Amino acid sequence: MSTVAQSIGGEPVTTKLAMKMEDSLQAFAVRAACFIGELEVPFSEEFDGHDFGATHIIAYVGDEPAGAVRVRWFQSFAMPERLAVIQRFRGHNLGNLLLERCRALANSRGCNMLYCQALPADVKYWEKQGWRRLVPEEAGGGTKQIVAMVQAVDPSKPLPDVEAPEAVVLRREAQLDSTGMPFGTVSN
Amino acid sequence: MTAIQTADGSNRPVVTIKLAATSDELMQCFALRAAVYMGEQQCPYWEEFDGNDYSASHLMLYVDGEPAASIRIRWFGTFAKFERAVILKRYRSMGLFMPFCEWAKEFARKKGYTKVYLHSQHRLWQIMERGGFKKLDDRVFHFSDHEYGAFIADLEVDEKTVPSIHSDPMILNRPEDQLDRPGILEKSMDRGATNPHADWMAPRTTN
Repeated sequence: MSTVAQSIGGEPVTTKLAMKMEDSLQAFAVRAACFIGELEVPFSEEFDGHDFGATHIIAYVGDEPAGAVRVRWFQSFAMPERLAVIQRFRGHNLGNLLLERCRALANSRGCNMLYCQALPADVKYWEKQGWRRLVPEEAGGGTKQIVAMVQAVDPSKPLPDVEAPEAVVLRREAQLDSTGMPFGTVSN
Repeated sequence: MTAIQTADGSNRPVVTIKLAATSDELMQCFALRAAVYMGEQQCPYWEEFDGNDYSASHLMLYVDGEPAASIRIRWFGTFAKFERAVILKRYRSMGLFMPFCEWAKEFARKKGYTKVYLHSQHRLWQIMERGGFKKLDDRVFHFSDHEYGAFIADLEVDEKTVPSIHSDPMILNRPEDQLDRPGILEKSMDRGATNPHADWMAPRTTN
């Protein structure tokens, strides 16, 4: 696997889980810079309602928030997404560092599979980080916008050929009414 | 003056301006600034989020409900300082900045401010002058990788309606971007001064 810089420009490289409001804000700022500022993703798509049911990991160069990733948790897999590294800190494998922290976190929670949805153009990047396509290329139909990819949390325990849901996890969580029940589930 | 709406039945976008009043709206504001300053202008995080965000007012502009622009205002004794004005890339050249700036001035004026002060990046000086701001002096200074000059605009305040310590106390309690209409605390007056925690206060006050 590729090596990760331990320091950039003399500044130490570290990662941490967002535990406080300010930490989360830093993760959101990194994503806003990359996805809204650079890639022109609309705010409402970038901040999709999943941010307060997920875990955020931030990479720092010194004190400066340089990268972030969000992990959502499902019973059969953990899902890293919204991986972003600020432009001037790219080329130092911070993405790999963040994904490795995801993997270690998933491992500590007894999770055995990481699952992500990659853009076709990014598949090579994920493969370099040790991920593989969930469904072999030909079987995918060819016209898909998003490629489902998986990685074993413990590299010594390769994944069985399981089918993870490919599309369902992109949906918003059900909107809850004031009693905590999803809308439409209570008839009276 | 809570909102400017340009909905005339055509397919023109609906533009709404308001004071950020919830944590959601604040987060939208921070996301816009991160997108423009950190994403486009490569500003470091700690310079963009400089510690003054929680002692300021943040104005938000929405286009069809999507966060599109924001301005931060800090309140000094004799002037209001406009800062961190951003418009998301896709919403530029829609002519949003001037009306937004006017709304911000009107907001400051209704709070009783007679002067607005700001630091403008050199490349935007002409735009600021067209927006009714004038250069304060010849000083040019730089921070966060850009050259700045100070600009001011005078606001005309009506002494009769300006909020003061002699204003109706309940007017001063209103949401700051809606000083001209009754706020939630005026509605609370229906409940009277019932002093609902009197029971547990009683043991202490009898000593």
